[in-house]
Amino acid sequence: MFLIPFAVILLVILFPVIWMLYSSLRPVQAISQGITWRTVFSGLSLDSYARLFEQTGFGRYLPNSIIVCVSGTVITVAIATLAGFALSRFAFRGRPAVMLVLVATQLLPFVVLITPVYLLFAELRLLNSFAGLIIVYVAITTPLATLLMTGFLNAVPQTLDEAARIDGASTLTVIVRVIAPLVWPGIVTVGVTTFIAMWDEFLFAQVFLTSDSLKTVQVGIAGLFGEYGTDWGVVMAASVVAALPTVVLFSLLQRRLVAGMTAGAVKE
Amino acid sequence: MIASRLRSAQPYLLSAPALLVIGLLFLIPSVYNVVLAFQHLTPYQSPGEAEAAGLENFTDLWSSGDLPHAALNTVLWLTAATVVLRLGIGLGLALALESPILRRWRLRGVSRTIILIPWMVPQVVAIAAWRWILDGSTGVLNQALTGLGVIDQGVPFLAQTSTVWWSIIAIIVWRELPFVVMVLVAGLQSIPAEQYEAAAVDGAGRWASWRSVTVPHLRPVLTVVVLVTVIQTFNNFVYVWLTTGGGLGNATAVLATELYSAAFFDNDLGAGAAIGLLMTAIMAIFAVVYLRVTSTKGESR
Repeated sequence: MFLIPFAVILLVILFPVIWMLYSSLRPVQAISQGITWRTVFSGLSLDSYARLFEQTGFGRYLPNSIIVCVSGTVITVAIATLAGFALSRFAFRGRPAVMLVLVATQLLPFVVLITPVYLLFAELRLLNSFAGLIIVYVAITTPLATLLMTGFLNAVPQTLDEAARIDGASTLTVIVRVIAPLVWPGIVTVGVTTFIAMWDEFLFAQVFLTSDSLKTVQVGIAGLFGEYGTDWGVVMAASVVAALPTVVLFSLLQRRLVAGMTAGAVKE
Repeated sequence: MIASRLRSAQPYLLSAPALLVIGLLFLIPSVYNVVLAFQHLTPYQSPGEAEAAGLENFTDLWSSGDLPHAALNTVLWLTAATVVLRLGIGLGLALALESPILRRWRLRGVSRTIILIPWMVPQVVAIAAWRWILDGSTGVLNQALTGLGVIDQGVPFLAQTSTVWWSIIAIIVWRELPFVVMVLVAGLQSIPAEQYEAAAVDGAGRWASWRSVTVPHLRPVLTVVVLVTVIQTFNNFVYVWLTTGGGLGNATAVLATELYSAAFFDNDLGAGAAIGLLMTAIMAIFAVVYLRVTSTKGESR
């Protein structure tokens, strides 16, 4: 009985993505002329993608985003694994305070801090550089990554690292040789969550990177819709390209990612 | 002796990099933001050249008249409207996903994936896709409506005050709905089946078991969902900025876009910091009041 409205809602949810994909494949004249039933599937091509890479800076924005997000993700995962190990294995005095800071930063949005962070990074000469943006992205993603990593590490029995310790291994050796191979699925989950957050970020990329050659994909798309005469074929092609990495990663790890991102809300 | 001291220092050493980046990006800027809110400074000056401003940044914001309006837009349209819609639709979808019919017909997996799709798409991409759908001349929604004879000519949905907020709300609800649905599904799944069986044994009908089992179990989950979504949406900058730029007179100005414009277009970093401080204060007060109200409600039951 509820299935009909349910199906309608699902169609509404699906439509924008289908329309985006479809519009990116339609010939440029057809887009401005609108649709008739006879011309729905005529002349579909990759022309808009060709225009995207020939006429806009997208050929640069794409590698820019990849450089920033991949290096940022590697750093965040490393930092989160070390901190997660400390929180999971040691009952140290500062532990409650560290946990509180991690949870609190989750609720403190970065937008309100854009002005002081901008000034701080201007003083440190980190504006308009990948290094500056990577530091920001690492900081934004570290709290959640650490909380998730602590959860994954708690699931690994302590007896394993204690055995390695008795054999004289240092803490870092234990983490790299014993723990990392065991929590590999957890590390992948944290890495993908982190990468997606960095890939989607807009505000800091917009404020920090002013020269065109450094722009990221999200900022690039925003620059494509001008007031008049927007080439929507190109914008939709850019959107498909920008969505592809996150859609693929998300689909591959659907259950794990959803479990990770919703866990906090259900447990507390 | 040295070895044991080293060992007790280890957790601090291991968490030092995490604490360092958090300190650099959250703690220091939070403190500096408070200082900056009481100073006059442009992006072309160094922080040392700042002049003391007293309360001027705040009084200027108040007397310009834009800020109370932006605050109202932020609370009512951007936050309250979208959170309420997300909760309503999200609860409906979560209950539908958990219904036995979908499972029997093996439609659960497909439906779940479809519901998740908007979450996989970056916010900027979601905005681009919807701007194209809502486009005033060649957008598909206008073409469909004129084709059906509902309207005579294209409606510029994002460029006129009567439709702009509903358009922005549609984009936000579309993109941010999956999180709410998934959290509610997880909440529904955490309810032990025996409780429904026990209610059925006691002769409870559908409505009674909804009231006595489902609602009390979902309450803590809903409490957290509302807190998280309100804070995230209240501070969101992208949706309004990339649809209207906070423009249309001041019909779509929200606090986050006002902050950005003040700091980086009007070159008034002090004013930007003041708006940021105000936003933090509003959310802190909201969180405290909200958690107090929701926790006393739980006790009285």
